[in-house]
Amino acid sequence: MNIKKKEIASEIFTGSMADISFLLIIYFMITSAFSADRGMDFALPEDTDTPEIKQEDSIDVHVLRGGAIEVDQKALPLEGLLPYTLEKLKQNPEKPVILRTDPDATYGDMIRVFDRLRQASSEWTDVDGQPLYKDVHGNPLLGIKTISIPTQREIENLWSMLGIQ
Amino acid sequence: MALIRGRDKKVAAQIFTASMADIVFLLLVFFILTYKVEVDRTKMDLPDTWIRIKVPEKAAVISISPPDDRGGLPLTIRVSTGKEMSLPVSTDEEIVTFASTEVARDPNKEFIIKADEAVPYERVDAVLDALKQSKAKYIFLLSDQKTVDE
Repeated sequence: MNIKKKEIASEIFTGSMADISFLLIIYFMITSAFSADRGMDFALPEDTDTPEIKQEDSIDVHVLRGGAIEVDQKALPLEGLLPYTLEKLKQNPEKPVILRTDPDATYGDMIRVFDRLRQASSEWTDVDGQPLYKDVHGNPLLGIKTISIPTQREIENLWSMLGIQ
Repeated sequence: MALIRGRDKKVAAQIFTASMADIVFLLLVFFILTYKVEVDRTKMDLPDTWIRIKVPEKAAVISISPPDDRGGLPLTIRVSTGKEMSLPVSTDEEIVTFASTEVARDPNKEFIIKADEAVPYERVDAVLDALKQSKAKYIFLLSDQKTVDE
């Protein structure tokens, strides 16, 4: 006797696939964010390798309220900051730049100046990364070696050590 | 004869949906790959800079938003370990405690300062001071891309 096997259709039900996919898309769209993920970096000095920096041994950049700057106690436009720094570093490439900001200035004012200082490495080199300037000893100048951002408390501590009110 | 002159043959109106699954999956894969939970969603105007490097993904975030004149909200500082959503802090000591705990866990922990450009520098200075006290080593100042017309 021939027994015919009844064939069972094997199918994966895909009717709800679109619903699930859309649900997942909506979830990822809402929870993910195109956040700002870039910025300017700087490393804080460790206690062991912090040399004592004197104001006269450095380039003192003071950001005033309103965004104007004073470099070594002289008013200077922002465009003049890097040329001035370049001339100073040609004499002594180890000179650090101290970036002080008035507490009443805004964060944006300070960042504008910090960004300008950081541009030294790209402005003082050509497109191939070759240095355009040299110091008095003939060594290439590739940028500002040290940019120090002291906090108000550190400045006050230093002033009290020096006996300045 | 039943033929009526001038009547057009009916065309079935259908939307072609066969490629919908492909499009949906393409979008799904895109969102899964770019998925990143933002630990601090405070809306603010970041300062614009030319120099911008990518910040580490798991860095701790300290956000400083300016006082809101319309809503009467004061200047707000929020902190996040980089894994959980940010929480508000009210004193500088809390920032020191937060940062010290993070540095104790990982001495090379990076910190992102996300501050509005209109925030008085005094507050950013206080946060920097707290990070210095906590022996933090690496700091990133979040910014937007500067363009030539700015």
